[in-house]
Amino acid sequence: MGNRITIPFGSQHVALPEPIRFVFQTENEKIVDVEVDVGYVHRGIEKACMTKFKYTQVGYVVARVCGLCAISHTLGYVTAVERLMEIEVPKKALYLRLLVSELDRVHSHLLAMGHLAEVAGYENLFMHTFRDRELVMELQELVTGNRIQFDYATVGGVNRDLSLEVERELREKLKDLQERCLWLKDVFENDYTIKLRWKGIGVITPEMARELNVVGPPARASGLATDARNEFNYLPFKEVGYKLITMKDGDIYARNMVRAEETLNSLEMIFNLLDGMPEGDIKVPVKGLPEGEAFVRIEAPRGELFYYLKGSKKLILDRLRIKVPTFSNIPVMKELFIGMDYADVPATVISFDPCLSCTAR
Amino acid sequence: MKDMFIESLKNLFKKPATHQYPFEPSPPPPNYRGNIVYKKELCIFCTKCELVCPPGAIRFTYNEDGSREFHYNPYLCIYCGECVRACPKAGCLIQVEEMAPPATEEEIPNWDEIEKEAEESKKRWLKARKKPQAKKS
Repeated sequence: MGNRITIPFGSQHVALPEPIRFVFQTENEKIVDVEVDVGYVHRGIEKACMTKFKYTQVGYVVARVCGLCAISHTLGYVTAVERLMEIEVPKKALYLRLLVSELDRVHSHLLAMGHLAEVAGYENLFMHTFRDRELVMELQELVTGNRIQFDYATVGGVNRDLSLEVERELREKLKDLQERCLWLKDVFENDYTIKLRWKGIGVITPEMARELNVVGPPARASGLATDARNEFNYLPFKEVGYKLITMKDGDIYARNMVRAEETLNSLEMIFNLLDGMPEGDIKVPVKGLPEGEAFVRIEAPRGELFYYLKGSKKLILDRLRIKVPTFSNIPVMKELFIGMDYADVPATVISFDPCLSCTAR
Repeated sequence: MKDMFIESLKNLFKKPATHQYPFEPSPPPPNYRGNIVYKKELCIFCTKCELVCPPGAIRFTYNEDGSREFHYNPYLCIYCGECVRACPKAGCLIQVEEMAPPATEEEIPNWDEIEKEAEESKKRWLKARKKPQAKKS
């Protein structure tokens, strides 16, 4: 065999905006060994939530864990507190939460798809995808008042109501967005270059996915039917037409197609929930302090997000633990790289849509 | 080839997707979560906004005569609107659809000093309040 060469990938790399470091040992372009380091952006958010912030403020703090799945983190925390304190949230608030969470999923998936196109060398498609992502950001701003850091959900309900004007505008813009997303899906599905670049690369077999506990779109692309939206009833997904999307191949192309299909399903769900929006309050007053333990599983755009919290009738929580989807997907990345060509590494890493600000917190 | 030519000709006369930002203003949409505006004449100094603010962007300092002063740092604020919801006096704190002004050296409040002053003056104020009770007993 040839010489062994060590190639560091990250923590700063053109294909990878996240501060993760892979050190590859290669032999003639083939990777034989890899080391992963994820601890570059530790901000001590969990500790701050347990020492500095009151339990009513923690929702706003955990929203800052990650910019792309801000609502997922807030939802995770808020649902856990509500389960702990046995608060019954009004149905309208649940529907509004669902609306924002699905808009967030669309925007995150479009980002992942666009980024993947860029790494494949398809800059034009990247530009198109990001232009359409801008439409979702505008919708998010319309509903919540901000483009990414929503601060929408709070303990006991949501912070803002949906006015009639906003709803009308939302419907109009969503139709436009749906057309654009259909076009994008068509391009991602049928483009010859993309197929050549992505088919059969970075394959996760269903056994591997099950054994290494893969979550989110990568797991569903390998045929594993795991989705917290389907398994854990934190929001009324089944009432608004949720579909579990799985694919068999488990390669980069399949992961991208799962995201594209989920985007369309999310948009469909938003239309359905706007049609069936219940009347009523958006918030209930909260009394008392959290006591006991609770855990919640949320389907963030990248996969299953796990929140555990413990309170003992104090304003400040005893323990808050966040387990994020990217953390669950790192073992399989490591396994996948061994035996792979070095040239396929950027596309494979990006196909997992890693979020290191979540992972290191 | 023909399609490509037609498409590129069309693109020449299409409106660009980007905004010429510094030359074209980009107004905030309605419902934008903007700056917090405080009206002193309506305030009852209950300090609920201070208690509820997650980043601690609202602080009250206590003067010697017992009156309180409101301080707000728009550069620390996360614009979540919790203070507006917590305020019992409607119209005292409002979230307007305007962004915080760009930070210049003169405009940035000396926040470290204000925080220090807020804590120390609160301690002094609490001490002064306790004194008469101690005399009685």
